[in-house]
Amino acid sequence: MSPVEQDQRADAAAREEKELLARLRAGDERAFESLVQSYHGTMIAIAGTYVRTRAVAEEVVQEAWLGVVDGLDRFEGRSSLRTWILRILVNTAMGRGTREARSVPFSSLAAADEHEPAVEPERFRPPGQAFAGNWTAFPGDWSLLPEEKLLGRETLEIVKARIEQLPGAQRTVIAMRDVAGCSAEEVCDLLEISAANQRVLLHRARSKVRAALERHLDA
Amino acid sequence: MPEFREHISCRELVELTSDYIENALSAEDAELMEQHLNYCAGCERYVDEMLRTIRAEGRLREEGVPGETLTPIITAFRERRRS
Amino acid sequence: MIAYKFLRADGTSPFATFRWDLPDTKPGGWVEARVDPCRSGIHACRPGDLPFWAGDSLYEIEVDGEIVEGRSKLVASRGRLLRPVDAWDDELRGAYARACAERAHELAFGATPPLEDWYAMAEASIDQGAGPIGFVTARIAEEALGPDGHRTERARQAAWLVEQLGLGG
Repeated sequence: MSPVEQDQRADAAAREEKELLARLRAGDERAFESLVQSYHGTMIAIAGTYVRTRAVAEEVVQEAWLGVVDGLDRFEGRSSLRTWILRILVNTAMGRGTREARSVPFSSLAAADEHEPAVEPERFRPPGQAFAGNWTAFPGDWSLLPEEKLLGRETLEIVKARIEQLPGAQRTVIAMRDVAGCSAEEVCDLLEISAANQRVLLHRARSKVRAALERHLDA
Repeated sequence: MPEFREHISCRELVELTSDYIENALSAEDAELMEQHLNYCAGCERYVDEMLRTIRAEGRLREEGVPGETLTPIITAFRERRRS
Repeated sequence: MIAYKFLRADGTSPFATFRWDLPDTKPGGWVEARVDPCRSGIHACRPGDLPFWAGDSLYEIEVDGEIVEGRSKLVASRGRLLRPVDAWDDELRGAYARACAERAHELAFGATPPLEDWYAMAEASIDQGAGPIGFVTARIAEEALGPDGHRTERARQAAWLVEQLGLGG
């Protein structure tokens, strides 16, 4: 994509958001429902990293949506609508997390994680051998798989389940970035983590989800 | 200044893949990565798998929200926006 | 400035989805992009860079505007494809692979002790394309001759390509 096309796309997104906001303020239920459909799942995943149970996460997200509804008229458009919604969620979840005595600073969660390789070391030629560190056998070729296999129900369930099992900080970052489609800057800002930290968490999370898919698809 | 490296291994490449997709590698690392992808079909597949994984993750966003969850939120919207 | 560019058989760049306007009897149209090496810009090879990027089809490209030269490529703000380098065909690709493999054999068995395991990889790569066999041979040169062996072998491969392709470089 050329820089010009990127700018055009950003303009179009900004226009769409303005229209959406006007419809929401006018009480357009269908617009609101599609907003909930877009972000609810991600919000559950994010809330789940702050509170103990799925039930509490559901409550937190419900509460956050009420905050969104009440705040619509006050939203000034200084951030994107998505960032604003997720900020309300994170604040609600943190408040709830504190009451549940599970509020660990996010940055410490992110740092506590020790090194874990993206791919098991056994899959590469061992040190000392010719071409050490190269694949012993190549990964599978997913471009040969039919689309239904790659994006079908069964595959998506595996992706979802693996994301849910990720350690808290990795799960929040991957949910925001790859599921909700937030930018790296938005995530750093919302979670108050550094750009480097965000990238490490995303890398680890993506590597694990890919590995889970590989076990499923190449089986 | 560290001596410039001539190449990276597959084992190193997999650790750089997410940052490569993020456009977050230094120009030197990105160049080594692309050189590697030009001669290694295994890593080309790995990067392709990662891109497809991210695409699948994006599909989760389109998941339906169950009615029992959705209804109270929509009701609240209706009531509060009316007042 | 005249440089070279490898594209996939369908006219797309290997590391981007951009599809080039291919030249026929006249050059393709100019393409413009912001220069940010490996992220944005028109990426092209100087003659010495050819072995690093060897791919399906090769074009002569005119680059202009802001030009940043990197270790194994240049990045420009403007470029247009001038003509296909037709000499880069199946026959020449095969000859390049064989020349690399012979060189790998010479390097591997000229070393003490002989680098048999390393040479096995060259044999396995001969049918994998110009990219793999070129790398494997340069890697064997490094193992046989020391750290500078890699770069020296790449320069040797480039000289072979320039001569066989009849490029002005």
